[in-house]
Amino acid sequence: MKYFPKLIALAISASAPLLASAGQWEGPLNGIVNNVINQGYESYAISSKTLQQRTDELCTTPSRQSLHSAQEAFKENVLDWQQVQWLNFGPVTYFMRYYAFEYWPDKKGVTQRQLRALTQGDPSVMDAPRFWTSASIAVRGLTAIESLLYHPDFEPLNSANHCQLLTRVTKHHLESADAVANQWKEGKAEDWVFDEEGTGFDPEKVALEQFLQQWIEHMSAVKDAKLETPIGYNSRENLKLAEFYRSDLSLQAMQKNLTSYREIYHAGSPSLYDIAKQSNPALATQFEQQLIENVKLALQLPIDFFHTSKSKEDRIALATPLVKSISNSQSYLSSLVTSLGFQIGFNSRDGD
Amino acid sequence: MISRRSFLALGGVIATVPSWATVIPNNSKSKLYASAYSLSKQEHFFGVFDDEGEILWSAPLSQRAHAPIIHPSQSIIGIVARRPGFFIDFFDVSSHQKIQRIEPTQDHHFYGHALFTSDGKRLITQENHYPTGQGKIFIREWPSGNILNIFNSNGIGPHESVFLSDKVLVIANGGLMTRPDEDREILNLDTMQPNVTYLSLENGKVLNHASHEDELHQLSIRHLDVNQQGVVALGFQYQGEIWDQVPLVALSRIDNPVMEYLPIPENVRMRFKQYCGSVCFDKSGEVLAISTPRGGLVAYWHIASKTFLGIENCRDVCGLAATNNSHEFLLTSGTGVQMKNNPIQDVTKMIKKHPGIHWDNHFQQINT
Repeated sequence: MKYFPKLIALAISASAPLLASAGQWEGPLNGIVNNVINQGYESYAISSKTLQQRTDELCTTPSRQSLHSAQEAFKENVLDWQQVQWLNFGPVTYFMRYYAFEYWPDKKGVTQRQLRALTQGDPSVMDAPRFWTSASIAVRGLTAIESLLYHPDFEPLNSANHCQLLTRVTKHHLESADAVANQWKEGKAEDWVFDEEGTGFDPEKVALEQFLQQWIEHMSAVKDAKLETPIGYNSRENLKLAEFYRSDLSLQAMQKNLTSYREIYHAGSPSLYDIAKQSNPALATQFEQQLIENVKLALQLPIDFFHTSKSKEDRIALATPLVKSISNSQSYLSSLVTSLGFQIGFNSRDGD
Repeated sequence: MISRRSFLALGGVIATVPSWATVIPNNSKSKLYASAYSLSKQEHFFGVFDDEGEILWSAPLSQRAHAPIIHPSQSIIGIVARRPGFFIDFFDVSSHQKIQRIEPTQDHHFYGHALFTSDGKRLITQENHYPTGQGKIFIREWPSGNILNIFNSNGIGPHESVFLSDKVLVIANGGLMTRPDEDREILNLDTMQPNVTYLSLENGKVLNHASHEDELHQLSIRHLDVNQQGVVALGFQYQGEIWDQVPLVALSRIDNPVMEYLPIPENVRMRFKQYCGSVCFDKSGEVLAISTPRGGLVAYWHIASKTFLGIENCRDVCGLAATNNSHEFLLTSGTGVQMKNNPIQDVTKMIKKHPGIHWDNHFQQINT
């Protein structure tokens, strides 16, 4: 039984790892943490810093050029986010940071509504120490920044109020990105799993299991929410449900996700690929080839894939090979995970 | 409906099924539990295990199941198919034989849960009349399966129900409209209206019901349990956004039209991922346990004071049952773990881990 204070202590303690272990999963786990997560969040924190500086410059010297410069910094930051987006685990789960980094899909336009309310209030309230810890996730991250930079309701070039709001959001966003990057540097994945008394608990394996579960779920999200849903693959088309459609990043975001999957697979020594190659070479290779196929097919999509200039039928025809390829990847990954002895989601993915 | 000849033959078979007391000696200290489990996506079973976690016997199932039902006197256990379910298979524990299969009538399917009346003469099921989406409560004669009564459940998607008394059924109308030909796709996400309903089993009259405020209309009420004081505990599964801050557990009473949401520390509530699995009171009725397989934990409350007590971590945990000891629960998980936990004494005991076995969502103690 873990009582509440004990649970917090366990979760935030970076100095007291649950168990020092050099087990069989050390290679892929440390590889993913070091090469994918740590490096990914470092890049994300750096581009968040650039974004914050560019928005500061925009508000100090508003011009078309400084707006463009801020928008370019935003795009870079969004693509860095796509590299680590697959993992909703560890430091990013604190203070709803994961959902604050990207409040999507915002089906009811909550972000615009709340941003408008903030522009009409006293901006100094946003400087209060506790403001951002209780602020709505809809106004804390990339979705809000995209609205302020691209939505016609907001004019950072002409409105000091709007620009001040933009700089405050980017400042908070940078602090969050920095905090996650630093917490990953100072701790390790095993600090973020919950001990299970008396079950022969292996924190290394459980942490890797969590990574794999997150990867499987993210792959579903890329296929369903990012690709199928906006283009109406199975229902009505609504291109405004595409991720970061205002900044025209929907396609690039997906391409970045699919690229990151190969990095996860090959990170560490031995990597998941190396281990799978030993135990099930045919499956290991099939999955590898499918991941490469995903990247190729995503890169083959035209840059105006999510634009209104195309018909729904054209878009579905173009997307179908990628949908099938990602679907195959899901099956291979699921089989691979099971064949490696991980038990993922028998009840948790049942949904009843 | 079965023929007279078949009924007589079936009646003969079932009449010979011994009582629980015959199968489990009175001096036996060990309690028995019934649960479905799977070995893989294709291999599904139903088994009985004891206090030590040993599987005493098992039988193969054609599909993955959801929850067991236990006859109150004869050594018969039924297992309800997973939603959308089209069978309940009944087994004679003494002979290890399947003795009966009950299927829903045309245009209906089961929801994964069912229950026997305390005298063992009636079988009650929650069903979906899928052409209309209307939730139904079927009362069948046992063992013939003949339908005696069909009542409206007072909502859509009656997932689980429990007895408040012999004459009153409490129903968790989950609110989700689905059709078997569209798997589990929710067809009424924007209009769903879950409720808990207290239904007279004598005439199908609604004695009380409680719903959420409109802004929480996507908070599906799925599982429930009742204690000796008539307090009904409800576990929710939220169909809205993962980041919305919504209550996940509530209490209800037949004399109160409003549900009372229980407190959960926010960092624990977030770990639930908007999903409650099983709902279970302990033997005394003082402590409530709610499992969340998505969060990998069981959370506990002291009911009289409505105090959140704490959690027990267990990956993919869903099955919960009260043991014979006050405040103690048995937990089962998709990772094969069986453990006992007493949140008042802060005692956890791993019973057994079955590598390769995935314990299914719900299990039940066999009361002899």
